[in-house]
Amino acid sequence: MTRTTPPMVRPRTTVTTREDPPRTTSASRPTDRSARRVELEGLTAYYGDNAAVQGVSLEFRPSEVTAIIGPSGCGKSTLVRCVNRMHEEIPGTRVEGAVKLDGEDIYGPGIDPVAVRAAIGMVFQKPNPFPTMSVFDNVAAGLRLTGKRGRNLNARVEAALRGAGLWDEVKDRLGKPGSALSGGQQQRLCIARAIAVEPEVVLMDEPCSALDPQATLRIEELITELKNRYTIAIVTHNMQQAARVADSTAFMLNGELVEHALTDKIFTNPSDKRTEDYVTGRFG
Amino acid sequence: MTESRTDFHGHLGELEEEALSTLELTSTALDQAIEAVLTRDTELAVMVIDGDDRIDGRYLDVHQGVLNLLARQAPVASDLRLTAAVLHTIHHVERMGDLCVNIAKMVSLMGEPPPGSEEIIAKVEAAGNQARDQIRQAEVAFRQRNVNLAENLVSQDDVIDRLNRQIFREAVEIGGDDDHAREWGAHVMLIARYIERIGDNTVDIGEQIAFVVTGEFREFTDASRPGGVSATG
Repeated sequence: MTRTTPPMVRPRTTVTTREDPPRTTSASRPTDRSARRVELEGLTAYYGDNAAVQGVSLEFRPSEVTAIIGPSGCGKSTLVRCVNRMHEEIPGTRVEGAVKLDGEDIYGPGIDPVAVRAAIGMVFQKPNPFPTMSVFDNVAAGLRLTGKRGRNLNARVEAALRGAGLWDEVKDRLGKPGSALSGGQQQRLCIARAIAVEPEVVLMDEPCSALDPQATLRIEELITELKNRYTIAIVTHNMQQAARVADSTAFMLNGELVEHALTDKIFTNPSDKRTEDYVTGRFG
Repeated sequence: MTESRTDFHGHLGELEEEALSTLELTSTALDQAIEAVLTRDTELAVMVIDGDDRIDGRYLDVHQGVLNLLARQAPVASDLRLTAAVLHTIHHVERMGDLCVNIAKMVSLMGEPPPGSEEIIAKVEAAGNQARDQIRQAEVAFRQRNVNLAENLVSQDDVIDRLNRQIFREAVEIGGDDDHAREWGAHVMLIARYIERIGDNTVDIGEQIAFVVTGEFREFTDASRPGGVSATG
């Protein structure tokens, strides 16, 4: 990673097939994909003296969806906010440990947080398009802000909207305000905005919690499509959503990572009794 | 922390109870079917045949209940395993009920036992008692989530297998040139075979018990690969 310049975007080969053999844990499977790997090593995140995330070591594998589940207040949102250095924007917070993108610590000396956020995009719980901007400008905004506008802005906006599965629905009203779209469309617009800058990783923090069931399923389908090109981590309260979309699932409790394993395993035969109790609704 | 899916877990518990209490019905049906064979009691045999409707009704109830749970409650982890095991178990129970009917249907076809058939009849009774004990053992193992007791069904089932082979040999021998004796022997072979299949079904239920407890499905025995085989290879 170069310093203070936008270095974290690199040429990438789109991976459209998955030929990895079955595995029993997320850590046991090799991969040669070009999408980037995120590794959290002993990550601890503080609000003042309170450690909301405590010593979490976790991997987001390239071209996979990693779901993070756990009860409210378990630290899952804080954890993903550390991954693109948003946590430090809150006064009184600090982070210990490392977050590595393909082996390079994004908290290393001289690393520009803005470059980190360009490489690691975020989609939030509530769709938050820029309300006064048009659909087109909402997507173009990220490109303009990160200096990636280039001469083919129209093509890049279209590619991002296509990537978010929204192009056919908005191609005739690109000049209309983004806030005029439905909730599900607004969220896909935000995803388009996030992927327009060609990040390596997309973080999603409860991206469907404000959407109706049909819009939720549309986003989930989109996540499945996007994972071929991006490393995706999704925080969700909806365990069935994790079961539907995630390759692996991490369960957090009281700031600690309890268990991270293949989603199939988490939902059929988890190793830790606390995970078992949570997913079966025996506490929470 | 508090239990947050009490209604769902209540329904799942009720389905398990219905499946296991149906297992008790098959135990009774088997006892009655064997008694009907031993005493040549055609009325008792008809009771067994008619009583199978009750077992079939329980099967339909549990089957529908499991589908409802899957559709509405999306069980996971140990709940999912138990849900699947209950569905498998009620299927095995229904099959055992049918096998009891098959045994009962032999009563009206067999007629008087030929001379020298006492030992064969005693072995049929012993096999029937053994199968009934295995049904009860499967029920207890399920209720207790007792994997050792479940696995023990394999060695228990060996007893029935041996009796089945012995009955086959002796039934062939008793036939001789006597048409009636040969026919009687053929019916006894079928009865022994039905009992042997009931025993196999108890072992299958035992495998479901181990799956619920351990999370790994493993065949205790495999006819093509003696020594057992794991679903995960």
